[in-house]
Amino acid sequence: MKRRPIRIPNLGGAQAIILHRPHATVQALSRQLTAIGLRVAQVWPELGPEAMAADYIFFDADMGHDAMFPWEPGQSPIPMIALIGSEAPGRIEWSLKAGAHAQLLKPVGDSGAYSALLIARDAFDAQKALSAEIADLRRRLEERQTVVRAVTLLAARGKSETEAYAQLRRMAMAWRISFEDAAARIVAAQGEADDRTRRR
Amino acid sequence: MKRRIELGLLFSRSGSYSLISEACRSGALAAIATINSDAALDITLVPVERDPAGNIDAYAPLCEEILRDTGARHVVGCVTSWSRKEVIPTVEKFGGTLWYAVPYEGFEASDHVVYTHACPNQHLLPLLDWVMPAQGRRAWLAGSNYIWGWEMNRLARERISAAGGEVLGERYLPIGSREVGRMIDELRYARPDFILNSLIGPSSYEFMAAYRALGQEDPAFRPDRCPVLSCNVTECELPALGLAAEGLVAAGPYFRGVPGWPGEGNFGSSHEAAAFSAVMELARLLDGRPGAENWPLSQLLTGERGRGIVDPETHHTALPVIIARVEGGAFRPLKRMEAVAGDPYLTRSRHALVAPTLKLVS
Repeated sequence: MKRRPIRIPNLGGAQAIILHRPHATVQALSRQLTAIGLRVAQVWPELGPEAMAADYIFFDADMGHDAMFPWEPGQSPIPMIALIGSEAPGRIEWSLKAGAHAQLLKPVGDSGAYSALLIARDAFDAQKALSAEIADLRRRLEERQTVVRAVTLLAARGKSETEAYAQLRRMAMAWRISFEDAAARIVAAQGEADDRTRRR
Repeated sequence: MKRRIELGLLFSRSGSYSLISEACRSGALAAIATINSDAALDITLVPVERDPAGNIDAYAPLCEEILRDTGARHVVGCVTSWSRKEVIPTVEKFGGTLWYAVPYEGFEASDHVVYTHACPNQHLLPLLDWVMPAQGRRAWLAGSNYIWGWEMNRLARERISAAGGEVLGERYLPIGSREVGRMIDELRYARPDFILNSLIGPSSYEFMAAYRALGQEDPAFRPDRCPVLSCNVTECELPALGLAAEGLVAAGPYFRGVPGWPGEGNFGSSHEAAAFSAVMELARLLDGRPGAENWPLSQLLTGERGRGIVDPETHHTALPVIIARVEGGAFRPLKRMEAVAGDPYLTRSRHALVAPTLKLVS
């Protein structure tokens, strides 16, 4: 699969929140983020409504727990970067479940924040695009039965199955809707017609 | 009694980019002489020199030698971005500071480095914004095979595409290589509107000479029709380029004789000026503050906002932007813009890159 192109985000004025107790790591990270051009806020022990205005979250993986985020684990609406001190498998597992898109090792020194921001943004975007694609594929899969019914209905008017299929495709294009939506429209129209027949 | 303060100088006095090293070194030495003859200051600077001789692997050990074996906490030095990235872990380890006086590709703001020359919002972007309306938007990109060439060309490609232009070719040479034949052959067919040359040293000299020959053969490649642009050529390399430099258009914060450089001085090149400024600023930060010579940069800059030339957040400096063309062996300014703050991540200035709006056709 071809990789989609990287988008270099415009970080000027973006809001970063560091969810970590006051510490030298927070200072070093704040310096880096400020130099890059972000606005920085430090928050502890949990993330409140200010999260809604944030563009990036850096969170402590060492002392972290699910309740410190105002969303379900793995459901963050913005990119998340884990600040990992103890590289214990349990903590890494938790960071991943919490939805880390990138990580930065503690102690944070002179560099690392910029690549973490770019990698987290890219992973977040990729995840979002994939989720949308999967949801769309899933919907189309579920509507396979509708397509079969629509083709059968069209074929019942004396067409071969191949012709009916092609006709459905033409209808979808003419109506500027998806193949599945066109099928649903035909099945619904037939349903209404049946209702009318029954009422008569 | 003046305080005697050692100052590291880490410049390659031989190797492929020695002309630039020498320009920076003479700027630093001129500043040291100025400071040492100033009776009003309470410091004397003593240079501690190490010469990596153009060998990339010698930079970090020699920088460590300065910081470990002498009293110097500050080092003025490095020309290539590659060497700067090599010494940063060393200055960080010893709590020292590197003063870097060469134009570079940006995307860095170390807590242990001061950048006194230009970054892309002060050279490349204004240069492209000037050239595209003037010459056209079809570009050809050349660079030396390391971070400077790569990142300059990436940024150029982004800027040119955003302006609706086109990159017709992009070629690299290893540092020191003179194999420019393929580039010239490709140019013959590509026929761009301008060329961005981010080659360094002998590669650049060879390319410029071959390109001048091409222009004599075919007028489409004469400087008025298809100029070569550079963000790293200054007066210090004109002797090596000779006639091949004629018509070259460069962007920089200073050209010989052009006023507007922050502070006083008449310099041979912006490399010299930027190294001079670095040492003068360091002296200003140390003067009258006994013990400050051992402080880390962050401590030295505390409370200095708006006082010196160094932005305490990015450690870059505000510099004028001058676009100049080589005519008769000297740079003649074509356009001059007021000082603009260094914006290493392109997040602050009006030059911030905006992704091109693409119309989605499905």
